[in-house]
Amino acid sequence: MNEHTSTSRRDFLLAGFATAAAVGCSDSTNPFTPEMAVAPSGEKVKLLSVTGEIIEVDKAFLKPVPDVPQLSNAEERKGIPGKKFVMVIDLARCKNLRKCQSACNHMHRVHSGQNWIKVLSMQDGEHTAPYWQPTTCMHCDEPPCVKVCPVDATFKRQDGLVLIDSDRCIGCRFCMAACPYSTRVFNWGDPGVTADVADQHYSCETSMPQKKGTVGKCDFCPDMTRRNELPHCVSACPNGVFFFGDMNEDSVSNGAETFRFSDLIKDKAGYRLMEDLGTKPSVYYLPPVNRNFPYESGL
Amino acid sequence: MKKLHHNILKLLVTLCCFATAGQTANAQSDSVPATKIIRMHYYNVNNSMQYILLESQLKKEKTFTPQANKTYNLYLDSAANLVAMLKTDKDGKAKAFIPPTLKAAWEGSSQHTFIVKEGDEELVSDYVITKSKIDIDTANEDGARVINVSVMKMDNNEWKPAAGVELKVGFERLGGILSAGDEETYTTDSTGTVKVTVTKDSLPGNEKGIITIAARADDNETFGNLLAEKNISWGLPTEINTHFFDQRALWTTRFRTPIWLLAMAYSIVIGVWGTLIYLIFQVIKIRKLGRT
Amino acid sequence: MENITTLTSEQITKDLMPQQFGRNGKIWVAILVLICLIGAYAYYLQLKDGLIVTNMRDYVSWGIYISNFVFFVAISLVGSLITAVFRLANVEWSTPLTRIAEIIAVSAITFASLIIIVDMGRPERLLNLFAYGRIQSPIMWDVIVITTYLFISILLLYIPLLPDLKIMGEQDTKGPKWLKKFYRFLGSFWKGNPAQEKISNKSITILCILIIPVAFCIHTVTSWLFATTYRPGWDSTNFGAYFISGAFLVGAGAVVTAMFVVRKMYSLEKYITEEHFDKMGKIVVLLALLYLYFNVNEYLVPAFKMKKAEEGHLDELFTGQFAPLFWFAILVGMVIPILVLVTKKGRKPLPMFITGIMVVVGAWFKRYLIVTPTLLHPFLPMTNVPENFKHYFPSWEEWAIALGSLSGALLIITFFVRIFPIIPIQETITQQNEKATS
Ligand code: SF4
Ligand code: SF4
Repeated sequence: MNEHTSTSRRDFLLAGFATAAAVGCSDSTNPFTPEMAVAPSGEKVKLLSVTGEIIEVDKAFLKPVPDVPQLSNAEERKGIPGKKFVMVIDLARCKNLRKCQSACNHMHRVHSGQNWIKVLSMQDGEHTAPYWQPTTCMHCDEPPCVKVCPVDATFKRQDGLVLIDSDRCIGCRFCMAACPYSTRVFNWGDPGVTADVADQHYSCETSMPQKKGTVGKCDFCPDMTRRNELPHCVSACPNGVFFFGDMNEDSVSNGAETFRFSDLIKDKAGYRLMEDLGTKPSVYYLPPVNRNFPYESGL
Repeated sequence: MKKLHHNILKLLVTLCCFATAGQTANAQSDSVPATKIIRMHYYNVNNSMQYILLESQLKKEKTFTPQANKTYNLYLDSAANLVAMLKTDKDGKAKAFIPPTLKAAWEGSSQHTFIVKEGDEELVSDYVITKSKIDIDTANEDGARVINVSVMKMDNNEWKPAAGVELKVGFERLGGILSAGDEETYTTDSTGTVKVTVTKDSLPGNEKGIITIAARADDNETFGNLLAEKNISWGLPTEINTHFFDQRALWTTRFRTPIWLLAMAYSIVIGVWGTLIYLIFQVIKIRKLGRT
Repeated sequence: MENITTLTSEQITKDLMPQQFGRNGKIWVAILVLICLIGAYAYYLQLKDGLIVTNMRDYVSWGIYISNFVFFVAISLVGSLITAVFRLANVEWSTPLTRIAEIIAVSAITFASLIIIVDMGRPERLLNLFAYGRIQSPIMWDVIVITTYLFISILLLYIPLLPDLKIMGEQDTKGPKWLKKFYRFLGSFWKGNPAQEKISNKSITILCILIIPVAFCIHTVTSWLFATTYRPGWDSTNFGAYFISGAFLVGAGAVVTAMFVVRKMYSLEKYITEEHFDKMGKIVVLLALLYLYFNVNEYLVPAFKMKKAEEGHLDELFTGQFAPLFWFAILVGMVIPILVLVTKKGRKPLPMFITGIMVVVGAWFKRYLIVTPTLLHPFLPMTNVPENFKHYFPSWEEWAIALGSLSGALLIITFFVRIFPIIPIQETITQQNEKATS
């Protein structure tokens, strides 16, 4: 069962599942938390298997949501190897409920009045139909915001995410001017984070706690994906508007439904915002056709 | 036979029912009845590891608030068999494994009831789970890849086919299972099996083309959550291309600045500052000339 | 310069010596210090509470701090114009103006760097720029080029000052002891022998050549802070030239203003003559025309096409809420000065002074118009934000800090004029001797 010598993390994950697949093997994993993503405590506990055998698991799995290992800043800057995150937003399903927004604001303790996700009322031309368009950070592959940052405080990782190091940001706001999607917000005053996270060490992956005089924005919740869970906005949306996944796996999921990314984009004619700017966003939109809700229901 | 309930169990605890009687819906928040809700989920992973996940919430009007730091006792079948003493975390969740000491009790029956008590108050007494197992088999029929999933249930100490179980069958992906066939879900037939012909070919796997097949039942009324996984080399071998990240570009970190930019910047800086340093020496020279 | 030729070197030295502040001078300094103190207090508030004390918000994320910064950078360019270009072109009449220009450049660029620190959300992390500096970012280019320009400007101020420092040190005027010591420390080694003069002349020539590309860089890079983004109104290939021409204009305007004040205060009518004003007037006209040309380019071409993204922005400038300011900046900053200064009468000292002020004030608002209206017209609609995010008018703290920085720059110039001869003594003497012998 010890195939754990393989180099890439992707292999690790699969190896983890491989051991789990062998019935009766003592190193089983929680399906929703890949073994390698968990910080093992080193302590084993004995427990009873379905078939009445006695097996051992790491004590870390006793927690409902096992702790993921504390990552160093260098690791957070590198990203999750082998991943390339992608989001698909289905405009046909959005009715401006903004559950995504409130979940995001709550989970990231976003300063009240500011939002990392905005749901915009769009109308492209005079006689074209209006629709609701949620916008997150596009995690551009040619990110203009990263280009202009003077101190590497905002950076792009190998998994495609564009994150912010609030411990380094000097607050010049050049990135805000550079982002054509106006997605970045600034902590003009005290960010007013709640007591439970205020003393935490800042992590680029949770973007918490926000700090005065630095920028903030949507981070695609890498702390969740490390645990094999979906970002907060994706799971919060009751209409399943958001799909999230890994381009390297060619799939996106909103929790209830999972699609092959390439098929979905092909069948529904997915597109990206402001393609002409050359920013190469990681967020794709499905056009608002055959809508689930009329535009007016979101007003 | 005991009546099986839906796994979401609600217990109504009316807090201030007298105070609220006859008041409007807009009554003060502390006078609205709050409902204590305990949700139970049983998990069976690859017919091996099994556990119970307990969620404790308070429902007030339409909002659910997780109840953290609550202690509950979980019993198997009767108050004699303590499974675990649980304390909820900040999300109001707690997880319990069945300890080896309950081996006899676990093996003694094909159906088990989980009981939750808070102190002496019995909050859940009708969460019943039937023992089951789930297996994946793969085959190649006339060139078509086929996944066969069978679900068996324990009945009178014998494994019998479990019909009518709704399953997701497909490939393990970030955040969900990508269905292998054309349906989103499948239901087992009278032999307890589903047969899925794989229509999604050439999905990327790892470097060796290994991909994980998964079959999952979510919150089944009888069996709880079941998951079976199997690795198979049906995927496309995919090299992870890090060229994108390793290139020198305008958006990379300061360690991967494009060479042309470095050359330009340094040549200008060195040229200008070289001259400036030369000029400073000239000033020093003037100084020296004045001293002698 | 007929009237100078009759003067002896002693007379020139006496005339050009810095003088103590009179009553007006003292009032002037007091007012400037007061404004600076208010600005400092406002900055203290900002340090304490964060940038929340400003009225900048997520959409208008750059406000008058940045436009003030651009203004300072622009005005500092004048040092290179008057000193370097004229010196290299052997324009002799410019001698009395060089030092005025250089001190304006030094003080402006000093305050440009200060105001940009004021704009930072985390000024205490300034050193991150050196610890983690990323050369891909135009901000880094700006940091490098501003430091360089400041350094060159100081050298260009200092080296020609050497002979005068010697004269100052030797004068037995009453001035305070420390001032004497200061002069001696800076320039006592200057003996005026041919070897020294040769090195100094050569150094000045090198500096004059060097400062021109650096000056172009500093303002081009500043324009790129905007032009490297996608925003309507900034996304322009014209921006570098547009900024530089504007900078030359405002710089020339500033020199004209300073000339007038210095001339009045120190009664230097013999040295800064009407001819100087006349010539500067022509230069201002030329520069204003040039800037006007670039303005036409900058606004007419996009207005001709009216791309959707540009439309809202341009409408707002031409006819919307920014229209009064926009037309004010165009008329007062360019058109009226041109009309006044093309006439011979307009190039007399007093009208020149007034147009000089108009040019400078117009330029300040022009910078504001370059920065703010663009930010109010993002590509995606402004929704899901509090109402005050959609407008911008600077808070009193912003005004106080911006005005404080302007006063600070004026204060530096004032003290410089108090301590050092604002018109090069030695050079004037030499020039006059040359004239006499020829
Ligand atoms: S959407 Fe904006 S903030 Fe996000 S990566 Fe693109 S440019 Fe940067
Ligand atoms: S505000 Fe912070 S993250 Fe943005 S460009 Fe400046 S230093 Fe970088």
